[in-house]
Amino acid sequence: MSPPPELPPPADAPPVAHLDLKARLLLVGVLVLIGVSIAYVLYARGAFERKQTLVLVADNSEGVVVGQDLTFAGFPIGRVNRIELSKEGNARIVVDVPVKDANWLRESSVFTMESGLVGAPKIRAYSGVPSDPPLPDGAVRRVLSGDASAEIPRLMASVRDLIANLTSMTSSDAPLNRSLRNVQTTTETLNSPRGALGVLMGDDKDAKKIITTLDRTNALLARIDGLVLKADGLAVKADGFVTRADGLVAKADTQVFGERGVMKDAHATVAQLNGLLGDARNSLTKVDALLQEAQGIAGNTREATTDLIALRAEVEASLRKVAQLVNEVNRKWPFARDTEIKLP
Amino acid sequence: MTLSARHPWVRALLDWSRGWWQVIRFGAQVLVLAMSPSSYRSSQRPRIVQSIYQATMPMLTGFVVLSAIAGLVIIRIVLATALSYGLSRYALDVLVRTLVLELIPLSAAMFAALRYAMPAGEQVRKMRMQGLFNTQLAAGLDPMRDTVLPRALAGMFAVITLAALSSATTLVLTYISVYGFSSWGLAGFTRTVGQVFNPVIVLIFGMKTFFLSMAVAIIPMVPTPREAGIGFGWAHAEVVRVARLLAVVLLIEMLSLVGNYY
Repeated sequence: MSPPPELPPPADAPPVAHLDLKARLLLVGVLVLIGVSIAYVLYARGAFERKQTLVLVADNSEGVVVGQDLTFAGFPIGRVNRIELSKEGNARIVVDVPVKDANWLRESSVFTMESGLVGAPKIRAYSGVPSDPPLPDGAVRRVLSGDASAEIPRLMASVRDLIANLTSMTSSDAPLNRSLRNVQTTTETLNSPRGALGVLMGDDKDAKKIITTLDRTNALLARIDGLVLKADGLAVKADGFVTRADGLVAKADTQVFGERGVMKDAHATVAQLNGLLGDARNSLTKVDALLQEAQGIAGNTREATTDLIALRAEVEASLRKVAQLVNEVNRKWPFARDTEIKLP
Repeated sequence: MTLSARHPWVRALLDWSRGWWQVIRFGAQVLVLAMSPSSYRSSQRPRIVQSIYQATMPMLTGFVVLSAIAGLVIIRIVLATALSYGLSRYALDVLVRTLVLELIPLSAAMFAALRYAMPAGEQVRKMRMQGLFNTQLAAGLDPMRDTVLPRALAGMFAVITLAALSSATTLVLTYISVYGFSSWGLAGFTRTVGQVFNPVIVLIFGMKTFFLSMAVAIIPMVPTPREAGIGFGWAHAEVVRVARLLAVVLLIEMLSLVGNYY
């Protein structure tokens, strides 16, 4: 049997020294490279880190993706591992936090989820009290949500209202435009030969009156100037009078307030009057006492008078009874005299 | 008269289907051979290793340098654009996703196809058409295992190696472009890479690279239905093969994008 035909050798293949060794090295190198790449990806995903779990509960987890970071002070300290729905209908965001970074989270830590206009919502942690106990593994916390894009409809409505107001303000028959037109007219009048006076008065006739009034006022002022000059002269004379009056006043001062002045006598007189008034007060006090006694006596007298009246009435009643008794006795007594008067 | 004779479009459709079925069947055969332990016996191993080395090494340096230069240009463009819009914090994410996940596997596949897989496929087709396969079969050898498999494995290995090395180089260049030659940004950079490479994306990335390498290795080796025994139409056949390759690459790319982002 003839040997099988050999395959034709490649035309341009140069001989390679230690081909087998190099090929094996290449194989090993590529396998190592792939292995290192896989290990790096696993390390990057935190497969070799000890982790603890944090569960964040939110009303809405829209935009949150698995793998996104939980940041603290701008540094990523955790990664979203899972997003699920709770029995109450809330979103449960399960975050894996490496143990080495978990010391930044405390029992009192606050978690927020802020949605911007671009990008996924950002989950942030804030720890205000570093001395609080650390957050335990498996802790469940409510996350505070904020959505910038939710403000957009309100903002649009406000902008719409603002534009409507601006439109009404800037329309041709708007008060602002009318006012501006009036201002323009006024400015034009100001710049015209009529000037500010024409603007104020609006009428040439009235403006002329003002000018006439001003002229007259000027004349009046001139006359007043003359009068003032005269008054100055009079004032000089009055100054002299005042000086003399000052002297008189000084003398009067001495007469009134001096050592032998009126005021001193008046003081003595007042002192005497005070004494008399004191005596009179004492007398009046005694009179008061007398009057009170008199009042008492009068009171007693009144009572006695009242009693006397009653006594008198009783006495009269008694006397009447006695009289009636006497009359009865006289009627019934045989020796009673016939009191009947018989007329001839 | 048959239906295909009456309607030429039916014949074209049948040819088209037959061609694709041939590709799928050939690919399945190569895959089975690649997963068979008997393909890696001590007599086979040197041939496979040699093919792998000869396929990969000549284009490794050139592709890495080329992809580094192109990568640097794209990195600068993306960083400058993101900075001008105030979105620089998203630049790293965009670079990792576009360069490492999408552009590099695609470019590695096309580069390996042009530099190795197409010529190797042409060799295999020629040998088949010259009857060398039949001769080897008659001699009790397996041309699929001895000729096709080493070249296919070499093509696949070349694509995967180029993609892996270029991805690593691009990540390093991205880090240097963003953070400079210091290690202060390593933690943040690692975190971002970890966020991008979640399990789904890693799986899709791996599968995409694998299927691209298979497409590049297999499709150039499969003759079109009209090629067998025909002395003319080579240029048309090459165009058809390139079109097939591009169609499959495009399909794989679309499926990976759907898997990643839909």
